[in-house]
Amino acid sequence: MAAETDSVSEFAKDRAVWLRQLKGSLFEVLLIVATLVGVLALLVLFVLIGIDALGPSAADPAWYLLYFATLVTPVSAYTLYVRHDPAVAHVNARAFAVFCGGLALALIAYAVPAALNPYDVAIHAVFAAAPPLVVVAYGRLYGETHLTGPAVPVSVAVGLVCSFVLLGPLNAFTESLPDWVAYFAITTLPVAGILGVLGNRIWTDRGLTTAAFVVAAGLVTVGVSQSRGVDPSLWLVLVSVFLAPVALLVVETFERHPQGRAGLLGPVVLFGGILLGAWIEGQFGITGLDAWLRPTLVLESWSGYRPEQAGIYPQLLGSIMIVSLMTLMAFPVGVGAAVYLEEYAPATGWLGRLASVLDVNISNLAGVPSVVYGLLGLALFRQGLGLTPGILIAAATTLALLILPIMIVSAQEALRSVPDEYRQGSYGMGASRWQTIRNIVLPEAVPGILTGTILAIGRAIGETAPLVMIALATTRFDPPSGLFSGATALPLQIFAAKGNNIPEYRTGVVAAASIVLLALLLLMNATAILIRNRYQND
Amino acid sequence: MSEQETTQSLISTDVTAGAATERTVDADPVVRSLGLNVYYGEEPALNDVDMEIPRRQVTAIIGPSGCGKSTFLRCINRMNDLVEAATIEGELRFEGADIYGDEVDPVALRRKIGMVFQHPNPFPKSIYDNVAYGLRVQGDTKNLDERVERALKRAALWKEVEGQLDKSALDLSGGQQQRLCIARAIAVDPEVILMDEPASALDPIATSKIEDLIEELAEDYTVVIVTHNMQQAARISDYTAVFLTGGELVEFDDTQTIFENPAHERVEDYITGKFG
Repeated sequence: MAAETDSVSEFAKDRAVWLRQLKGSLFEVLLIVATLVGVLALLVLFVLIGIDALGPSAADPAWYLLYFATLVTPVSAYTLYVRHDPAVAHVNARAFAVFCGGLALALIAYAVPAALNPYDVAIHAVFAAAPPLVVVAYGRLYGETHLTGPAVPVSVAVGLVCSFVLLGPLNAFTESLPDWVAYFAITTLPVAGILGVLGNRIWTDRGLTTAAFVVAAGLVTVGVSQSRGVDPSLWLVLVSVFLAPVALLVVETFERHPQGRAGLLGPVVLFGGILLGAWIEGQFGITGLDAWLRPTLVLESWSGYRPEQAGIYPQLLGSIMIVSLMTLMAFPVGVGAAVYLEEYAPATGWLGRLASVLDVNISNLAGVPSVVYGLLGLALFRQGLGLTPGILIAAATTLALLILPIMIVSAQEALRSVPDEYRQGSYGMGASRWQTIRNIVLPEAVPGILTGTILAIGRAIGETAPLVMIALATTRFDPPSGLFSGATALPLQIFAAKGNNIPEYRTGVVAAASIVLLALLLLMNATAILIRNRYQND
Repeated sequence: MSEQETTQSLISTDVTAGAATERTVDADPVVRSLGLNVYYGEEPALNDVDMEIPRRQVTAIIGPSGCGKSTFLRCINRMNDLVEAATIEGELRFEGADIYGDEVDPVALRRKIGMVFQHPNPFPKSIYDNVAYGLRVQGDTKNLDERVERALKRAALWKEVEGQLDKSALDLSGGQQQRLCIARAIAVDPEVILMDEPASALDPIATSKIEDLIEELAEDYTVVIVTHNMQQAARISDYTAVFLTGGELVEFDDTQTIFENPAHERVEDYITGKFG
């Protein structure tokens, strides 16, 4: 009897084990498929857009061979070389970050003031930056610590009010000056200051030299450009915002991390390969790609009749300006609200109940469809303020309201992740709540807050529906020229171009503009990842 | 019975080896509590505690988990203010002033009554910035370098970190981190240092360093230490308070009396390990 049951149960167990294993592996396969669906869909999307935007079928086999030789081979070989040495890889990552970041920043720092009028930007910047600098310098000199903190934001506000009042009279004076003076004030001087501080941190007491070098390089650039009869503005910005940080990185690497200096070659190999390929292509007349994605696309203004002349410069700049303004508005409000809810709001009492109601509602607001926010923007600007809603400030405000809940929630997460022991330690040493937040909590939460912010910005860049709702123009031929000037954004133009009668718009231009939009988004996300990694390493 | 005797003799030798130096009770206690009751919501945490903490001595607070000893400690520098559900009744005085009086600023109070926590919690900053933190938040930045050095020397950490003050405090070992927290607490020159199980997360060697340090600190500061470790209390303290379940202070006397000849049977049971 016993033996019989034993053998039966053993048989049953084998089957059960086999079945269990089968179920397990089936489940695993399903999970792999689920993972692949998203990635594959994205890959297919990229391939389709890429084919439309670049037209690879038009290219000669010689073209492929050429770029294989100048770009693919050197980059692969270099990547393999970099991977085996962590010091080189570290320098390489920094080189790419400074190179690409500097280039992107330089182009934006030139284009945005150019659209707005560089002197307006310069006057506001000087008036906003000079008073807090004076306040901080005074605090340092006289050892005043109690009032400098609150005085900084107040002085910025006062400075901005003054600059708006004085803009007219000052413009009459600045009209006679060349543009480069304004660019010198808004790019060269701040970069000199930042690099000076960095130089001080790297070498101690070489900060002034570094700053002086940046200023001198800017002045030399102006002199050389003027002697050749070129407008110095663009070159000045490129030298200050792009070349100066790259130069600092090169000098620092050679002095501080000489074993990793080969990493500096990364951007040279990549961009040099592209340029060399393009040069040979032109020299030998090789048939290349039939690309819609080309420099003129981002440099030219829009054309509704000739797809080959259609550029998205106003749209791209509009997107960048809307998103920057939106960030300026949403960031302080979002972080402020998160700090209140996490650090100040009591758990009990009517204020505590109010805070918990707000907390739940903010989480819900993060899921409100963006079209509805468009309606809010429309109501605010047309019904409320009686303005034409299709303007830069309306678009920025609407999007700021849209991302505000997302920002608050992510900043709350970041604040919550700061260990309570730090707060206790700080309170235990006689720090006030504000001192604890300012010195301990916020520095720890910065990476999380910035990552959340940049992801929220990434979402806002692609938003179309709320901008349609507030009647932002789909097509404009100039970038926005002020806060109350009409504007447009890249996703709107992509949507509009999809409805054009000429088929080249619907395939080529839309695809190429989409790639530009994706590139903008990737740039933002890369920044987020860099910032996070940097703070996590520290 | 014989087991109990060995435990007792062990403890008494420890006492004689350690802090059995004769110190008279200060007529003017630093902290005095009278009928102190604390509730977390409806839950009572301290029940009618009367206690006088003598000046420049080490006072140990022992007792089983949940007996309210940490609560008592956190009342003294008003860290319980951060727990909103806590309600405090009765009297608690520091240098004669009512700690929970309306005119007392808890921030100013905590500058006089420093605290060291169970888990070493240095800030994610440099060693220097950690020690200078308290002075900086108090806006007292004269001779900062000198005072940081003095605090680190006082906390017996200077030799180990000299020349690397700009290194992150998180790179130190657990015992070093805890001594850094002590240096941080004494940098602002408080009168009382509260320690909430300061060695319970440390290995034996680090623990013994902390214990030596605590005995030294009692020359200049009043130290109140909560501990789970009865041998530790016997070794380093001059006075011992025994809290038992229900947040009740059962007995408070000099350490030798508590460990050798306690007046209450419950205390004796607890100390000999029959209960708790």
